[in-house]
Amino acid sequence: MPRWGMVIDLDQCVGCQACTFACKAENNVPHGSPEEQKERRDFFWNKMIAASSGKYPSVKTEIIPMPCMHCDNAPCVTVCPAEATYRRADGIIVQDFRRCIGCKYCIVACPYGARNFNGKEQEEMPYSRHDAPPDRNSWGPWPFPTRTHGVVEKCTFCFHRIDQGIKEGKAIGSEVVPACVEACPSGARIFGDLDDPKSNVSKKLASRDSIQLREELSTHPKVYYLPK
Amino acid sequence: MTGRGREKGTGMDKGEDKGDGGRGRQGGSEEYVILRISEEYHMKSEDAVSQKKPGGLQVNRRTFIKLSALTGAAIGAGQVLGPAITHSSAPAAGGAAKPLDEKWINTSCINCPARCAIKVRVVDGKAVKITGNALSRVSEGKVCPRAYVGLQALYDQGRVNFPLKRTNAEKGKGVDPKWQPVSWEEALDEIGRRLQTIRQKEEPHKLLIFTGLNTRSSEDLIRRFADAYGTPNVVSGDALEAETLKAGNWMADGHYGDVAYDLDNTNYILAFGADILESSRPLARLLRKWGKMRREKPNRTRIVVINPRYSLTAAKSDQWVPINPGTDAALAMAVAHVIIRENLYDSAFVSRWTAGFDAYRKLALDEYSPEEVAKITGIDAGDIRQMARDFAGTRPAIAIGGREAVDWQNGSYTAYAIACLNALVGSIDVPGGVMYQEGVTFAPMPALAGDGVAKKGKSQPALDLRKTQKHPLAEVATNRIPESLAKGEPYPVEMAIGFNSNFTMLAPGAEKWDEALKKIPFYVHVAPFISEMAYEADIILPATTYLEEWAYDFSPPGAGFAELRLKQPAVAPRGKTMPIPDMIFAMAKKTGGPVADAFAGLGDCAEGFVKARTASLLPWKEFVETGVCRGNDYIYRKYETIFATPSRKFEFYSGGLKALYAAKKIATEGDLAFLPHYRAEKFIGEVGDFPLALLPYQPLMFMENGSQNYPWAQEAYLPMNGVGWQVFAEMNADTAKKLGLKNGGFVWVESASGKIKTKVKFSEGIHPEVVAMATGQGHWSYGKWQTGIGVNPNEITGLDYDSLSGQSVFFNTRVKVYKA
Repeated sequence: MPRWGMVIDLDQCVGCQACTFACKAENNVPHGSPEEQKERRDFFWNKMIAASSGKYPSVKTEIIPMPCMHCDNAPCVTVCPAEATYRRADGIIVQDFRRCIGCKYCIVACPYGARNFNGKEQEEMPYSRHDAPPDRNSWGPWPFPTRTHGVVEKCTFCFHRIDQGIKEGKAIGSEVVPACVEACPSGARIFGDLDDPKSNVSKKLASRDSIQLREELSTHPKVYYLPK
Repeated sequence: MTGRGREKGTGMDKGEDKGDGGRGRQGGSEEYVILRISEEYHMKSEDAVSQKKPGGLQVNRRTFIKLSALTGAAIGAGQVLGPAITHSSAPAAGGAAKPLDEKWINTSCINCPARCAIKVRVVDGKAVKITGNALSRVSEGKVCPRAYVGLQALYDQGRVNFPLKRTNAEKGKGVDPKWQPVSWEEALDEIGRRLQTIRQKEEPHKLLIFTGLNTRSSEDLIRRFADAYGTPNVVSGDALEAETLKAGNWMADGHYGDVAYDLDNTNYILAFGADILESSRPLARLLRKWGKMRREKPNRTRIVVINPRYSLTAAKSDQWVPINPGTDAALAMAVAHVIIRENLYDSAFVSRWTAGFDAYRKLALDEYSPEEVAKITGIDAGDIRQMARDFAGTRPAIAIGGREAVDWQNGSYTAYAIACLNALVGSIDVPGGVMYQEGVTFAPMPALAGDGVAKKGKSQPALDLRKTQKHPLAEVATNRIPESLAKGEPYPVEMAIGFNSNFTMLAPGAEKWDEALKKIPFYVHVAPFISEMAYEADIILPATTYLEEWAYDFSPPGAGFAELRLKQPAVAPRGKTMPIPDMIFAMAKKTGGPVADAFAGLGDCAEGFVKARTASLLPWKEFVETGVCRGNDYIYRKYETIFATPSRKFEFYSGGLKALYAAKKIATEGDLAFLPHYRAEKFIGEVGDFPLALLPYQPLMFMENGSQNYPWAQEAYLPMNGVGWQVFAEMNADTAKKLGLKNGGFVWVESASGKIKTKVKFSEGIHPEVVAMATGQGHWSYGKWQTGIGVNPNEITGLDYDSLSGQSVFFNTRVKVYKA
């Protein structure tokens, strides 16, 4: 069984946020509004944060794109009272909307702010792609057809793409990648099997020193960052 | 419905495989009930997507519990529905018996002037996803984030779907135009009648045409229409971008245009005010190449960014060098000084392929020692030396100029000074250096006959003073128009047509455009939405967006080699919108006479026109399938032919400008006018009253089509600040504290010409004497997602120009900031 993970090369990343918008388009993540942003209710499955340090003129701002870290030791899974969030055998942490009771315990538990509570009725737009993924025949309906109001949701590593790719015998990590990886114009994101030393992701990881966010918490994230 | 997307064998957390995708634990039956219900909803919503609430069928937590109570009754239903639903059976069970009509269309973007190749996924006639077209070698199958926003541009709820006519004679910001829908026939008849009248009076120059961000095919038709009609007044927005770069290049190598950079092979970049990752173009290519330069080649490219503002580009670079605003020319000359003094320049190239080096050498050595320039730029002399040595020693190296360095009064010379650095290190037409963009050879349009009326009209001076003593090199001086219109000089305008332009937002002194537009007796605006310019129109003609029309397009210089792209309708036009080419054909026909004749045999419609012009390049079927037509690989070192200067060499002393000045009888103060040099910029507003310089910048998600009504672009608008939906006055923290301001508090930013209110944001990444503000917000004409959001710093900038190129100056307005 593979263990899917992602490497984000911060030296290659250009901070353009193509990942963010590609994710929104792929997974039909609702857009926010000024009011929602003010109250921090708008949501992103993939977001970009900017962390600044230093004084003028030696300021340093790190631009860090953040999907869900898909931790091997995921606090959200541990705390979920409804067992709505769980870890697949391939390591992807997913959310079962039908079990979720919207208690937000996982949001509090997640050290990365990767989780979003959907408290809104989604505005239906013609480009909303709930029931129309590519190759619908073999994929089945879109994983998240309509937003279930009142549940928590987050990045899935685009598992619908992976599952479909495996079915078709495609190479995951090269032919088939999550939407954000596909969209990244600078090639900063690499996806693949962390347990396979020959995978692109393992090779990239071995090329330089890497960090995981908040390693001290022993969450063992499967998203690695390669600093400049 | 989630569970059905789950793959067998990748089931629950316990690692066990229940063989039913994890449903076993819940017994399954009540889920089937829910599945059925939400599927029913889907069938409905598929037909009526805009239907907001599927009354009663929404499955939320509460209904889930209610439904669970019905489990007993539903067990049977579960049996009837059969065994666990698998992927292959899902569509049938989902009630989607009718197969989806799905296709991918290869077309191209135009959310910015890069016009990248894209693929659009269309399902049942609706565009649902945009991604890059791998066949394009310019963007290498990638797109920038603006491309995704295309869906929201297409389905923008504020779009105009039929022609509108103003019924309120009073014009102005905030005055309701009382739009009245009219038929195309009625709208075009009136426009045709007026076009005829002006021509009958033999005053065709009194027609003024604005062009904003249009496809190349629309541009070609608009310009042909102006030529046939007889007006010299086609005004693009180019002089609101960086015409100075073109003028600087012209002085150096004789080409009035942007150059391309061979980023694949360069090892060092010195970016003077160039926001390579934000407002530069073609952006998608730059983003791709940035990744390549950093980690996909043996030598990691070193990038140094010179800018008063710690931009996103600066944050991603290796070194940020804050500079006193408007002093980049001095820095470039100091870099030249060090390179020449330490004999680090490419003497083979300089001696063989350049002219005027001695004069340039003398000027650089005499006037621009790092110590002198340190006083001007605020950059340490030692740092300047190091920068120069790195630049000359890490070849191939390139110096790139950008808006924040060159949109100044002396900007053409700054651009010239930057261009000269590339010649000094021999980075001209070599791998890793400056490249000369190759173009596409279209099938030519039939020559214009041109009647006497047209000739007379075109011989009139243009309203924007281009090619006059004021702006001898200018192709266009966009921001001269409001003044000309206000004064009625050199002549009053009878009618204007704006194609996708929105200078009211873009131009410094933005309010002046609004005032000027009101003076035009009859104004027609062509756009998909009611932009700020459209707001003052008498008639609005609703244009299609790029996802609904035929066109051809190509990027601005970037790749070197030529590449042509097709635009084809991914979806049917919304409402009664019309592509611009079709409008031009109709207007020409209504005008009649020689104007109508000029459009005979050009294909009669957008598709026909594109077909006719590209017929010589590749088979139509292939173009429609691939969407991309690529030229030959770039050939380097074409020194024999590449320079268009009088000396046929790269000129450190501009012979071209000298000849032009002689022809136009413009007096100069000696040779300095023909050499790259620094001159202190004049600011608008006294330092005593207005101590800070305003720096309006374009963030990446600034949409250049004239609207910002796109939630995706809005919610991540200021990535360096981690927020969207607003504009800050970004100030150096120490400066702001000295002024007694509170981080995040409201302030007034006031210049000599006005004031705007916004929140202040303390930053360690801003020059102490600068206030940076993002442009693109402050829209007021239409749209739920843009009106009332942020302010437009261009409303308080003063009017000024680069004299050679007619480029508007953006950064020389002084302001003061105080608590609101």
